[in-house]
Amino acid sequence: MGELRLDPMTARWVIISTEKDLGPSGYDIESPIIEGGTCPFCVGSEKMTPPEVDADRPTDSAPDTPGWKTRTVPNKFPALRNEPVIERTGVGMFDMMSGVGEHEVIVEDTDHDKQLADLDIDQIKKVVNVYKRRCISLGDDDRFKYVLIFKNYGLAAGASLEHSHTQLISLPIVPKRVMEELECAHKYFDYKERCLFCDIIKQERDYRHREICENDDFMAFSPFASRSPFEISIIPRTHQAYFTEISDKQIESFSAILKEILMRMKIALNNPPYNFIVHTTPLNGNDDVQEHYHWHVEIIPKLNRIAGFEWGSGFYINSTSPETASRYLREVKI
Amino acid sequence: MPELRKDPIIGRWVIIATDRAKRPNDFKVESADMAEVAPCPFCAGNESMTPPEIRSIRKDSTEPNKPGWDVRVVPNEAPVLRIEGDLNKRPHGIYDMMNGVGANEVIVETPDHIEHMSSLTSEQIAKVLTAYKERIVDLERDKRFKYVLIFKNHKPAAGASKIRHCRSQLIALPACPKSVKGELEGAKRYFEYKDRCVFCDIVSQELEDKKRLILDIDGFVAIAPFAARFPFETWILPKKHSADFTSINKYGIKELGKVLKEVLLRMNKLLSNPPYNYIIHTAPYRRTKEGYWDTIDSDYHWHIEIIPRLTRVAGFEWGTGFYINPTPPEEAAKCLREVQV
Repeated sequence: MGELRLDPMTARWVIISTEKDLGPSGYDIESPIIEGGTCPFCVGSEKMTPPEVDADRPTDSAPDTPGWKTRTVPNKFPALRNEPVIERTGVGMFDMMSGVGEHEVIVEDTDHDKQLADLDIDQIKKVVNVYKRRCISLGDDDRFKYVLIFKNYGLAAGASLEHSHTQLISLPIVPKRVMEELECAHKYFDYKERCLFCDIIKQERDYRHREICENDDFMAFSPFASRSPFEISIIPRTHQAYFTEISDKQIESFSAILKEILMRMKIALNNPPYNFIVHTTPLNGNDDVQEHYHWHVEIIPKLNRIAGFEWGSGFYINSTSPETASRYLREVKI
Repeated sequence: MPELRKDPIIGRWVIIATDRAKRPNDFKVESADMAEVAPCPFCAGNESMTPPEIRSIRKDSTEPNKPGWDVRVVPNEAPVLRIEGDLNKRPHGIYDMMNGVGANEVIVETPDHIEHMSSLTSEQIAKVLTAYKERIVDLERDKRFKYVLIFKNHKPAAGASKIRHCRSQLIALPACPKSVKGELEGAKRYFEYKDRCVFCDIVSQELEDKKRLILDIDGFVAIAPFAARFPFETWILPKKHSADFTSINKYGIKELGKVLKEVLLRMNKLLSNPPYNYIIHTAPYRRTKEGYWDTIDSDYHWHIEIIPRLTRVAGFEWGTGFYINPTPPEEAAKCLREVQV
């Protein structure tokens, strides 16, 4: 018998097909292949990108020249543009605003052939530090309500360039899904006077069957009502509302768990394309949000196509139960 | 300058890329390299290859599960939900769950081995729509169900299996799907504020404005929605207010058959036979939470959403619910309006 599970973070029902309960071999995985060629993110091609906005480089090396460890540049084809004023207008009954925002690309390493999982922890730490730095810098602009950090790995997950990179978008709105999470967390807090995410962490640590790994500061688990097979959440174990509050010690442990999870996923699922998204508390919000929202990372390997049913209804069918998914990810040798 | 547009029903913001707007030819439609599955379980004569039919529209004096049908509804052979058993709603620590009870049926749209719904006659499509209506009405008697979703996946890239015989699917659910709930709540809010149906307002604005209008035939309009999430996303709405798809009468069904055929033909021509999905959005069964959906008859308005699958949706969209649409709906509507079929 399959199960219907309610996602406590979005109040969304998900069908967990416990009968099929597919393991990794049940999916047709399009592993990304590195083809090489001219790459604007490689050392020596710095002039192919817009001028850098941030870089990890020795003080004696000039911007937009080799010598960097990580490099952040504006997206050449931004989804949003940086204009001084956000104009809000009505068109008949409809509402719109100008698409103002920053869209940046963080080049994670100099090596074209390495993916994030292959980088050593020191390099990943540098990348996470860039996330934090850029988020703080973009968050300073009070036109923006949200800074989104996300990564597409592999063509099937939406990456257009193969050199490992993360993207960052600052938005004048809060994305729908984050809004839903905020509302659910708010309702839960009103009722229980506890953070929903802290309660989830506690339950997952007691239950163990959905936990994948943990360290001093972070835990990784398969969410109870995962929408897609092998979906993974990484969450700070103690309450923290904003990603930008991450401490130096936490950056170290976050980098370690991120690498571990990506390695486990790479081996268990044969190097799948994936998406990685940081969900954090919106900027310039009111203070009580800090009590009930808890930042976390969603990692979604791209294993199957989403059919019309899922798109149109927001009702997902997941053919691998999170318990099975976490077992594979936990037991794989890395 | 790109635009951020707000969906007036559920309040979702969408980025409409106006700078480098993509035209129909900019999308690469995956070519169908499908090995044909033979014999086809959905063809006339192969009725015994499917589970026994639940309902069919067939010529008088023909027997069930024998040829002579025009439309045939059968249980899905590999259902995602099971029809037997009770819901057994229960907690799991702080979580909530219930048994995966539901119906999963396949509506075979023609006895002939035809891949495209747009190749059927509008009369045949009307029969398919009649079958939809009858199934939703029939399943309402099952008290466990709250919602019936009717949808179509055309070609594997849109989630269909490799059998090239046109069909749609139905799933009856014990819970209202999230996006339907979002629409219901948004429509309710709008009605409380304006005392008018948001969909009726959309229909009248689009008829007047004409920029996003694709077709205006009899009692229906086809439009590119203002805050379309996907390139060439198309909605079909009845002009006359109605919350439930099942309230459609036989004249309405005939007209809808014409409109649906026309939209699919145009999409097929313009975008070179793209994979697509469509889904009927209708009001849920009114039996739960006494009083909660009291206003649904006034504030909700059924419609069909058609989404060609032209872009690979990145996790970004999926993880944030925030969509980037590379084709402004005005451009999409213009192309669909002008294409010669």
